[in-house]
Amino acid sequence: MIRIENLEKVYKTEEVETTALNGINLHVKAGEFVSIMGPSGCGKSTLLNVMGLLDKPESGSYKFIDTELLTLNDRERSNFRKRNMGFVFQNFNLIDELTVFENIELPLIYNKIPAGERKTLVNEIIERMNIVNRSGHFPQQLSGGQQQRVAVARALVTKPKLVLADEPTGNLDSSHGNEVMELLCELNETGTTIVMVTHSSHDASFSNRIINLKDGHVISEKINKSRNEELI
Amino acid sequence: MFKLNLKIALRNLWRNRIITSINVGGLAIALAAFILVVMYFTYETSFDKTNPNYNNIYVVGRIYPDFKTNYTSPPFAKAIKQNFPEVENAGITKRGFFEFTMKNGKNTLFAKNFMQADYNAAKILDLKPTGGLEKPAGEVDRLSYLSEESMKVLYPNKTDNKPEMVGMGSSNSGITSKINGSIINNLHSNITFDGISIGNEIGQGENYGMNNYTTYIQVKPGTDVANLEQKITKLYRNELLKGETDQKTIEEIKSISTFLDPLSNQHLKPKAGNDAPYKILIALSVLGILILVIACINFTNLSIAQATKRAKEVGIKKVMGAYRFQLTTQFLAEIFIQCLFATVLALIVAELVLPYFNNLFQINLSVWHIDNDLIWQLPLILCLITLIAGIYPAIVLSGFKPALVLKGNFSTSKQSYWLRNSLLVFQFSIAVIFIIGLFIINSQLKYMRSEDLGFTANQVVYIKNQTLFNNPVKFGSLNFESVRDKILKIPGIKSATVATDVPDGAENGTNGYTFEGVQSSLDFVDVDFDYFETLDIKLKQGRFFSQSFSTDTANSAVINESAVAKYGMKNPVGKTIKGCNIDYKIVGVIKDFKAQGFESAVQPTIYTIKNPCGNYKTQIMLKIEENKMADALATLKAQWPQINPKDGQDFRYEFLDELYGKLFKKQEQLQSVFFAAALLTIFIAILGLFAFAKYITNGRIKEIAVRKILGASDIQIFKLINRSFLVMVLLANVISWPVAYILTKKWLETFAYRIDLPVLPFMSSALITILLTVITVSIQAKKAVKANPVDALKYE
Ligand SMILES: Nc1ncnc2c1ncn2[C@@H]1O[C@H](COP(=O)(O)OP(=O)(O)OP(=O)(O)O)[C@@H](O)[C@H]1O
Ligand SMILES: [Mg+2]
Repeated sequence: MIRIENLEKVYKTEEVETTALNGINLHVKAGEFVSIMGPSGCGKSTLLNVMGLLDKPESGSYKFIDTELLTLNDRERSNFRKRNMGFVFQNFNLIDELTVFENIELPLIYNKIPAGERKTLVNEIIERMNIVNRSGHFPQQLSGGQQQRVAVARALVTKPKLVLADEPTGNLDSSHGNEVMELLCELNETGTTIVMVTHSSHDASFSNRIINLKDGHVISEKINKSRNEELI
Repeated sequence: MFKLNLKIALRNLWRNRIITSINVGGLAIALAAFILVVMYFTYETSFDKTNPNYNNIYVVGRIYPDFKTNYTSPPFAKAIKQNFPEVENAGITKRGFFEFTMKNGKNTLFAKNFMQADYNAAKILDLKPTGGLEKPAGEVDRLSYLSEESMKVLYPNKTDNKPEMVGMGSSNSGITSKINGSIINNLHSNITFDGISIGNEIGQGENYGMNNYTTYIQVKPGTDVANLEQKITKLYRNELLKGETDQKTIEEIKSISTFLDPLSNQHLKPKAGNDAPYKILIALSVLGILILVIACINFTNLSIAQATKRAKEVGIKKVMGAYRFQLTTQFLAEIFIQCLFATVLALIVAELVLPYFNNLFQINLSVWHIDNDLIWQLPLILCLITLIAGIYPAIVLSGFKPALVLKGNFSTSKQSYWLRNSLLVFQFSIAVIFIIGLFIINSQLKYMRSEDLGFTANQVVYIKNQTLFNNPVKFGSLNFESVRDKILKIPGIKSATVATDVPDGAENGTNGYTFEGVQSSLDFVDVDFDYFETLDIKLKQGRFFSQSFSTDTANSAVINESAVAKYGMKNPVGKTIKGCNIDYKIVGVIKDFKAQGFESAVQPTIYTIKNPCGNYKTQIMLKIEENKMADALATLKAQWPQINPKDGQDFRYEFLDELYGKLFKKQEQLQSVFFAAALLTIFIAILGLFAFAKYITNGRIKEIAVRKILGASDIQIFKLINRSFLVMVLLANVISWPVAYILTKKWLETFAYRIDLPVLPFMSSALITILLTVITVSIQAKKAVKANPVDALKYE
């Protein structure tokens, strides 16, 4: 589904140029669950941002199914993103002024889903996430784990083809972290493609394939046998 | 989506409700000021705009090498009409130079300006007598109308529009005159009057030398005015040159040209006149705009302070697929709602302040009437301030890159550091300029009120009078002696005199005088005995006029110091100065006194009792003892018909000090405006600072807690928070000093008599702004300092 070729991304600041991505090649099949690992600063988040069309690389190619995404303009990128992708962040990134329900509703609004349908969709996912009695709360009134579940719910509510998660468990304790990982697995099992950045090999063990980055290169790839067997 | 955005906006506003209400309140006040300025501006620039031919009417004026004038002669208009087909109509008017007294039984009207106009001018100027403009029947017939207000004075109960016969002058004069009806006196017009008489033709038989009229022409739409102007100049010269043979006169005539001045220029910047009203209007508009901008800056600054927080929202929404345009409109809509609210408040405030404003500017504006231009201006203003206040959040916030702002530790403070601090500095700079300006206006006014005028206006009563007391006798004028004798019999009256002019700022006449072969132009004032004594003017050399010198009524003159200087006279007393075919003997030199106020320098002036070339000598002045003032005035009123039989029926007087005080009115107006402006700008700037400091200290609570845990004392923390604000205020002072210096110096230079530019206002403004800043910021800092550091750190 995703074919990334020779991706390069350079950050220029006043003093230095940092090559964050240095000729990345990456293919992701539909329905796959891919983990990206590597030392701090090796370019994992950058890669994820580029995949999520939040950042533009200097050169390379990024094909999604058969569409080349790097040549799209801002508006087309927004449209593509809101129809096909969902995001989960390390620091949750919920809007503080909106309730749980409203936060989850937000992407549906941008996708111009009618209000009635929105309500059903949001309630459905709230139920699934087990946060029903929290739907009127504001983010500050929730624990970190609950906030991340809301964030996952928000990423899923549009039923995206691809979910991008940047250290989704980074701010959570292990039990809350596991909850989130189980959610992602469930989601993957229903056919959603997932690309996740993580520092934890425990989390990575939930995925089909682990990609190791260093200094902006892919240095190794590992098929996660146990998980793949499970799949079969 | 709108609903959700509205929710975000309202919850945001509610969370920052104090800051929000401060901002909206400040904006409302500034907007109220701005609305007043806009209304005033509209009013001042729309004089005569209701005239259907507003854009095609011109005043014809004349240009001499050294002056311009709107006064022209009667035949000129006719000649223009006859010669140029593009001139649709031409007419003339004549101002009333005399105050008419009109009577109907016990009701008396003093018509200061009883105008004359020919029928053409009445048509051009769209004059509207009740029942419509009528054409007078014959060549000499006049139709006379009184303004509705004047008519009310004479006929308070009149309801019909029938002609009336009114008495002219004293009731025993026996002269009556027909008034054909009433007419609208549009105060929002350049042509105002107490009454007007309209003839088919006026000024018949008067020639090109009688320049006492104003000529109006109405041109056909699309006329090339510059070209017409040239043609009229040519015509004018040709008319004057007719039958002229003297070469020198011919040369002089060739140096005269004419100009066409649009009706729209007349009120604010007539070509023949000064454009001070226009400048004042522009200054006032700039002031209004500045105040508004300062209030809008509060919004921008608050948006900057909140940027970090709003950035996250922007990032998330973009990740969800929002377009930048959607976010831009969202921010603009947020600001718009607040501005809309402020506008409603502003209208209420404006309505409350309007009576004071009207009183100050002597006009009659109101917010609520149908054809008010505010109906279209207000939405425009609303959009404008929304743009000014919202441009930063709309453009900058909506442009944030989600990959950057969602990292978690994104901070906008660095990027906006310069913008936000420059805006604060700008606000305070303006405030400082107004404060300095106010102080300096105050000092100058104080100086004007306390400075020695060279004469004493106190206890001098000026009596309005129409009897002439000229010497030599002119138009049956009387000798003042008998009047003076009768007046002086009243207890408490110390002296009495009559003159052509009173020292109330009015300009004197001028004439050429020759001294030892040097000819020069001097102001002249024709006086009577006791003139100098009544006004308590100081003698420098020689003597005042005195009844013991019989020559004083024939050829004695007193001159002032400036006149001595003008001719470079040495020992002038006893020497001869020649003017109006009289060899005047200089008997005394007086010290200069400020008859014209403080703006123009004392003119070289000659005072004589006899002056064949003089003006009407009608202005009676009396010096009365303070404690007998009331009695003396009562007695005067009772005896006035006997004292001044020719014009004795109506005893009307004014106190000279009040009359002279009117000269300060313009400055007092300016003082009020500056007082309001200074107060407003500093108030709004402090409001903004208050909100801003509150936000900044809230953001630094954690930092302050860490510092306290590391051992910082309260004082150190106060200093820390105050420091950056203090630097900005000091900077604002330093920036505005040179500006204020130049502006106030320029203003002071409009006075011939002025204070030296003082240093104190500059120091005081610095002190005031610093003090206010420290207080404002410390109120906020106190909360942060008093907070328990452990609590502050608990919330992450
Ligand atoms: N906005 C930026 N400006 C300049 N350099 C940047 C920027 N963002 C990232 N970098 C640099 O690019 C490189 C890759 O950063 P990236 O955030 O992708 O690392 P990462 O692998 O996600 O690290 P971590 O595991 O710590 O999150 C780093 O060297 C970083 O310093
Ligand atoms: Mg990262």
